[in-house]
Amino acid sequence: MHPTVRIMLFAAALSATACYRPDGATATISGKEMFRACTSCHMDHGQGNPAIQAPAIAGLPDWYVESQITKFRTGVRGAHPDDYEGLRMRPMSRQMMNADEVKAVSAYVASLPPVKSEHLVEGDAAAGAASYATCVACHGVRGEGNATTKGPPLAHQPDWYMLAQLKKFKAGVRGANPNDTTGATMRAMSSILVDEQMMKNVVAYVATLNP
Amino acid sequence: MISRYLESASSFSGDIDDLVLWITLITGFWFLLAQGIFIGLVLKFNQRPGVRAKYVSGEDPKEKRWVAWPHYATLIFDVIILVAAIRVWTNVKIEQPPLDETVRVVAQQWAWTFIHPGPDGKLDTADDIRTVDELHVEKGKTYGFELTSRDVLHSFSVPVFRLKQDVIPGRIIKGWFKPTMLGQFDIQCTEICGIGHALMPGRILVEDHDAHESWMKALVPVAAAGGTPAPTTGGTK
Repeated sequence: MHPTVRIMLFAAALSATACYRPDGATATISGKEMFRACTSCHMDHGQGNPAIQAPAIAGLPDWYVESQITKFRTGVRGAHPDDYEGLRMRPMSRQMMNADEVKAVSAYVASLPPVKSEHLVEGDAAAGAASYATCVACHGVRGEGNATTKGPPLAHQPDWYMLAQLKKFKAGVRGANPNDTTGATMRAMSSILVDEQMMKNVVAYVATLNP
Repeated sequence: MISRYLESASSFSGDIDDLVLWITLITGFWFLLAQGIFIGLVLKFNQRPGVRAKYVSGEDPKEKRWVAWPHYATLIFDVIILVAAIRVWTNVKIEQPPLDETVRVVAQQWAWTFIHPGPDGKLDTADDIRTVDELHVEKGKTYGFELTSRDVLHSFSVPVFRLKQDVIPGRIIKGWFKPTMLGQFDIQCTEICGIGHALMPGRILVEDHDAHESWMKALVPVAAAGGTPAPTTGGTK
């Protein structure tokens, strides 16, 4: 055999061994790596970017992040024609290929230290405190959230984001999908806030909370 | 001929395919011929011992015709291609056949929202049907479309229709298509529109009359009742 052919065969055999993958092994990508796709909107530390309506997500509980990504992926949230921001999140949620990847990125988001957001909504916090009494059962007295009732923590949520979501719940842009059970609860609750001023007030109150 | 290998599903897709095919054949023929002559000359006048290379100034008409004739041929075939291309362009983009219905296409980062006129065939009425990422149309009907964008540049492309039209924020871009084949086909955004550009696919469902009617019937009562808009159907994965 010609020496060149021998070297070529040896090189081919060597590269073939590099392609070998044991049975059952799957390519893995860590939550931190996947989170890089989120940073263009939600920023490097998950602190959000109000200029493009991307809320802060750092430190949200993993069960909440997981449930919302799953809702976006399955069209339960963010599939309404009027949900401009949700329609933007919908394709991004499909970057994750399976439930394990959703779990991994949710765990990473939960591990980030929460960031207190800047106040952008003017409201009467004292007046909002009365309305907030209704929210306490699910979101906690200090806005710390409640995993049992699936109420996410609100204390570190940006006020502009909460206001936008209240409006969406009330208009049926979020939470109206028949498969969105927690959204349906929130839709019903949002009806107690009669007008935008009431929403601003309660949001202003939540912004004063410290879990 | 192209439609044998690639689905061709609109009234003008065949014309565009024929145009592409003719351009490919003309340019392909001359390309292969030119390469053949070039390689032939290289082999024929290869370096030989004792033969010096000659500097050719190209002043003799006999020598110049190697450049001049292909030049004339390029001009003639250019005109042929131009005439054929302008004919197709006029049929597709300039002239518009009478429309049966008009749909509105709203592009955004990174989704398509479609507003279908509903059973009455008119936009901006109570029975309009809004869908996300799914456009339902009836085979054989001529549809006008109005493209708008909520944010940045997008491009509405339906490859099987050979249809591609940029969407420009602040403007309403109009056009038309007539589906001629039943089935579900891709809609793509073909203008880089941000990080989610590649994740912005839609589907166009070309249905027969009965299927299209029953799709409308299933959705209209909700929208016409003034309640929440019809449930969007793009949630499948």
